[in-house]
Amino acid sequence: MAPHQNPKIEIRNISRTFSHTTVGSDGSREFTALEDITLTVRTGEFLAIVGPSGCGKSTLLDILAGLSPATSGEVLIDGVPVTRPTLNRGIVLQGYSLLAWRTVRKNIEFGLEVKNIPKSERRAISDRYIALVGLTGFEDHYPHELSGGMQQRVALARALAYDPEILLLDEPFAAVDALTRENLQNELLRIWNETGKTIVFVTHSIEEATYLADRVAVLTTNPGTIRQVVDVQLPRPRSEGDIRSTPEFGRIRHSLWNLLQNGGAHA
Amino acid sequence: MPKQQSAISSLLLRSSGIIFFLIFWEVSSRMHWIDPYFLPRFSAVITELWNLAEDGTLYSNMIISSARAIGGLAIACVAGLPLGFAFGRWFPATSAVLDPLLRIMSQVNPFLVLLISTLILGLGETTKFAVIAWVSIWPLLFYTMTAVRTIDPLLIKTARSMGISESGLLLKILIPAALPTIFTGLRISAGITFFILVAVEMLNASSGLGWYEHNAAMNFEINGMYAGASVIVLLGFLLNRFFISLERSLFTWRAPVEFLLGGAKTATRLALWRPGRVGIAAATLAIMGLFVGGSFEIVRVNTERANSLAGIDAGKHACHLGSEVDK
Repeated sequence: MAPHQNPKIEIRNISRTFSHTTVGSDGSREFTALEDITLTVRTGEFLAIVGPSGCGKSTLLDILAGLSPATSGEVLIDGVPVTRPTLNRGIVLQGYSLLAWRTVRKNIEFGLEVKNIPKSERRAISDRYIALVGLTGFEDHYPHELSGGMQQRVALARALAYDPEILLLDEPFAAVDALTRENLQNELLRIWNETGKTIVFVTHSIEEATYLADRVAVLTTNPGTIRQVVDVQLPRPRSEGDIRSTPEFGRIRHSLWNLLQNGGAHA
Repeated sequence: MPKQQSAISSLLLRSSGIIFFLIFWEVSSRMHWIDPYFLPRFSAVITELWNLAEDGTLYSNMIISSARAIGGLAIACVAGLPLGFAFGRWFPATSAVLDPLLRIMSQVNPFLVLLISTLILGLGETTKFAVIAWVSIWPLLFYTMTAVRTIDPLLIKTARSMGISESGLLLKILIPAALPTIFTGLRISAGITFFILVAVEMLNASSGLGWYEHNAAMNFEINGMYAGASVIVLLGFLLNRFFISLERSLFTWRAPVEFLLGGAKTATRLALWRPGRVGIAAATLAIMGLFVGGSFEIVRVNTERANSLAGIDAGKHACHLGSEVDK
């Protein structure tokens, strides 16, 4: 599915510095997490952001979500500057972050409760997303009764349920085993295909980025800057056949690897 | 069926220590291994317990002590829970500054507090409530602070990303996430409360189980002393079990924890009580009823004591207060 050409998210010259005061030193030291990031995400696009640890990927995602402010620059969504979190962006964090005291259904309905949607509607919506992520039959289970992969599906369904236009995913599959991870990747692509969301996917896995994304933004560290945005021109659907073994996949994967090696932590 | 059977046999097995202890008690007194004047037979204590239950002494002192414990604990909750949330979440700087003070305060021996509060508040019920509240607020406060501080930041972040309001965050995330730890604090507070209450009543009361116990001892009513002691021990045990049952049935969503009862297997445990919503509501009502009933009983007994004291002052020669009112 070809993404539309109109911009959904415009990131303009974003910088973020943190200052920490070290005991014993005079004054505070500044640390630049992100420097002059400019990036546009098109409507319906799947954009991945890869980079080494500490390159500010998560900070960037927090700024996109409106959870933390940029030191300078601005983020526009549909042309409107982001100032605070709203329900047009759904976020899925590393490590599920499910509400342990709520069942699968009540977890998925959480955003709908925040949105003040009446109970009967909530139920219909949660039914739909429970089915979408393949958890029918587990509605009344508590998170501790589920496997890691299933918990991740709940987190995904929770972000999808309040129907945001944009999904922000911060290393969502980092905590599950390799096989589950591949399944979840395929499910995510299927859901993306069915719902047409704009997705920003942060990962440290080059392979995952290549497999999933339309474009991959490579971040370098210290300070975090965009080194290059790589187009991934692999055919879709990618779950058919063994696309990871094709020469084209290998070529893209290798060029991403090169970009990270030359601009990453080893530089 | 076999599951039930094994539960019953396990209960029997687990009570065998208690049964053995009681038999040993009975026998050692009957056989004069210990002077029966100092250790009356268990059966004699039970008989005495029956008498006390029949003439209303037991009931009166039990609800009086309960009302004092509930009142003190309620004061501690009303003050401790909001403070714990405030220190734990909204004013971390203040709490860091106050922490040493709070830690020292929490170490102040309740009996010192008893003396000071008697000085300021007098000998009445206020002093007892104050001491009990003082003792029980610390575990509640510290557990609440810890509970609020250790909530997974990702949960808060996720909720924030949905644009949740601060009150929504409190009701839907902070309170439910902190509740199990707070409940542990409450259980510890309740245990300490019960211990201290009995001691305070021994020193500074003319009613309640602690007073009864002390009074019986001072008057060499040895059977009564053991009967009172048995009731105190049993109540303390039931109180603890009540809280454990409540925790289990409230927080079923937690992964099973085995350390609460020293590693006994879940299947072989017989829960004393597994309340649903109705059960919890009923228990709350019962606790409130106990408090109200106990309060009336305190007023009644105190008035009676005051009147009989006035009678003593008026004419009769001085005699031991306890032996006078106990009849």
